[in-house]
Amino acid sequence: MKFNTIDIKGIVSPFSAIGKVLEHPKTVCYPAQTKTVAPGYRGFHTNVLTDCIGCANCQDVCMNDAIDMVTIVEERNAKNKSGCIPRIDYGRCCWCNLCVDVCPPDSLALGEVCIQADEDSNKFLFFPKDSSC
Amino acid sequence: MDNKLIKIFHGPQHPGITGNMSVELDLLGETIKYARTHVGYLHRGFEKLVERRTVIQAFTIVCRICVPEPDPNEENFARAVEGLVGIEISERAKYIRVMVQEMSRLAAQMLWMGGQSGSIGMGTVGQWSLFDRDLMLDLFEELTGGRVYHMYTYPGGVRRDLPEGFLLRLSELLDYLEKKLPKYDSIFFDNATFKKRAIGVGVIPKEEALKNGYVGQALRGCGIQRDLRKDNPYLVYDKLDFDIPVFDGGDVYSRALVRRGEMRESIKILRQVIAQMPTEGAIMQKLPKHRKFTLPKEDIYVATESARGEFGYYMAGDGTEHIRRMQVKGPSLIHGFTLLEKMLIDEELSNVAMIMNSLGICPPEIER
Amino acid sequence: MKNLQKTYEVTQKAERLFEVTVPQTQFWEAMLYISTQTEFNTLSQIACTDWIEEEHFLLIYILTNDARDQNLMLKVTLGREYESMPSVTTLFPQAEVMERDLHEMYGIGFEGNETLYDFVLEQWNDLPPLRREFDTLAFVHEHFAFKGGREDNKDVKVEQKRRREEAKKQKALEAEKEEAEKPKEPETDTKETQDKKPDTKEAEDGQ
Repeated sequence: MKFNTIDIKGIVSPFSAIGKVLEHPKTVCYPAQTKTVAPGYRGFHTNVLTDCIGCANCQDVCMNDAIDMVTIVEERNAKNKSGCIPRIDYGRCCWCNLCVDVCPPDSLALGEVCIQADEDSNKFLFFPKDSSC
Repeated sequence: MDNKLIKIFHGPQHPGITGNMSVELDLLGETIKYARTHVGYLHRGFEKLVERRTVIQAFTIVCRICVPEPDPNEENFARAVEGLVGIEISERAKYIRVMVQEMSRLAAQMLWMGGQSGSIGMGTVGQWSLFDRDLMLDLFEELTGGRVYHMYTYPGGVRRDLPEGFLLRLSELLDYLEKKLPKYDSIFFDNATFKKRAIGVGVIPKEEALKNGYVGQALRGCGIQRDLRKDNPYLVYDKLDFDIPVFDGGDVYSRALVRRGEMRESIKILRQVIAQMPTEGAIMQKLPKHRKFTLPKEDIYVATESARGEFGYYMAGDGTEHIRRMQVKGPSLIHGFTLLEKMLIDEELSNVAMIMNSLGICPPEIER
Repeated sequence: MKNLQKTYEVTQKAERLFEVTVPQTQFWEAMLYISTQTEFNTLSQIACTDWIEEEHFLLIYILTNDARDQNLMLKVTLGREYESMPSVTTLFPQAEVMERDLHEMYGIGFEGNETLYDFVLEQWNDLPPLRREFDTLAFVHEHFAFKGGREDNKDVKVEQKRRREEAKKQKALEAEKEEAEKPKEPETDTKETQDKKPDTKEAEDGQ
């Protein structure tokens, strides 16, 4: 036996946890309720295609070789000298934000979407959503 | 009747193991006669990955070396590169970095509470502490853009400025936590079950603790007061006023009380940082472009006090834009092998999980 | 510290960081002296760097003192061809696992350490991986198959050049076409200039 006296406080005080029953539950009833995402969250990519100049700075700095430059189907920016826009492989991307930091016209950005579930793994070769209005 | 020695593997898929490792045990009845640690389930090869990348690319993967507490890694990497190249950062950036380190320490201690109480069957404590940790992660989400892996502390400063009203929200969270901490006392630290299980178990002898290179709570739970923030101060810790909690006893209960004291000290430090934060100063120094950022042909050693002990980085450059060598040594390298294998002899099988949680053994940083 | 400075040459690298270099033959004597006669009696880390251009490994033993406020780096060079060093496990028990790690990753032998079995890698028969001649990219291409779907990646510099040439060709073609559209003029001096203007105007309208 490690104790000679009975530790009354130690036996009785844990019962104060029962008081939690009267509190509001802390869980979020997903998907009926969703949690709001903070501004500046590093979610899925968006690209302003009317500003993107196809310089491939993002492809150069990406530390996991996740970005491909792919020929654009319909031309959106006359200054795009190579005719290519980035496509990102979400199996390799780590959402580190380096591609956003080096983009010269500031067209690439990380948005607030963060959920995608699909049976086809090719859907994860992701064209950033066009956010030019 | 004779009992035979039975060999079992405690892990790697086991709720009583802190991560992905296994301990090979030889049992006589319920008493352990021989223990050997096995790692290797989580080797990702960071030290080799870094050699093919430039400095700015390597900074994004360094935080993944330790999963429960990524920030000391980023801080070490930033200080090592700054030491090699010779960059001085502004006061405001130093205060922000101290704030991030202490917030991360609080979050890691709350995760520890969940692990330690879960290892002896008290599941309620983990539910409470992980919710409180979630509130801290919400603040990190606002500040850095990510909840667990921040990629925020960069050589030269920090990556983004503080959002509007951030210090006010942090101060409200600290008020909430100060009201909550006595409730943890009544269900966990003063709990008769925990005391009966933990007192006298997993004792570290005081005489050999310093010589054998133990760090963190393994020393402070034995009555030896060592903390890198006071002994070898970095950033602005020499301007802040805080104590180092120390308890005699050397057992699991003393180490738990040390962590409880550290949570209160972290709150104290954060309040001072909020009050003393300079309003002006550059967030980030100007640095060359990533293919032109070369490191000189020198080497350096830096260390940071993480929530579990001293984290050391050795870094060497070779005159090009790549890092020649980055060697990482976390506190669990010694605690998980030399200390654990000795401590488990003549212990009972049911205490293995509790001892591992109290030493804070984290497999990702052993095998990076 | 004073003992150390009397016997060995100590350089100061930072405010609380010092460095001593010894040749391999004097290593054991230096380690014994430093750990017993000076205040640096605890081992923090054993680091190793592969300087393949200079054909040696550089082993760094990082020691610290009881007050944990100063660090000393003891540097030794070692040849790259699977040589051995004396083990320091009799002085520091924590060196056991650090030497096991270096043995597996670089192939360095440590005499006196009997625990040099597998640390992290299992059933590994190739080169010790952290040596510079081990090429991780080549290893990956040999042993793993990449998932397809990314073959339409283009090199941007090539694309820019190609589009510039195409645009030039297009311009040249259009200029030729313009030339061809113009009707043939008789070889008179003054009448040419007078007649040219209405003609070109007609050509533009026609297009």
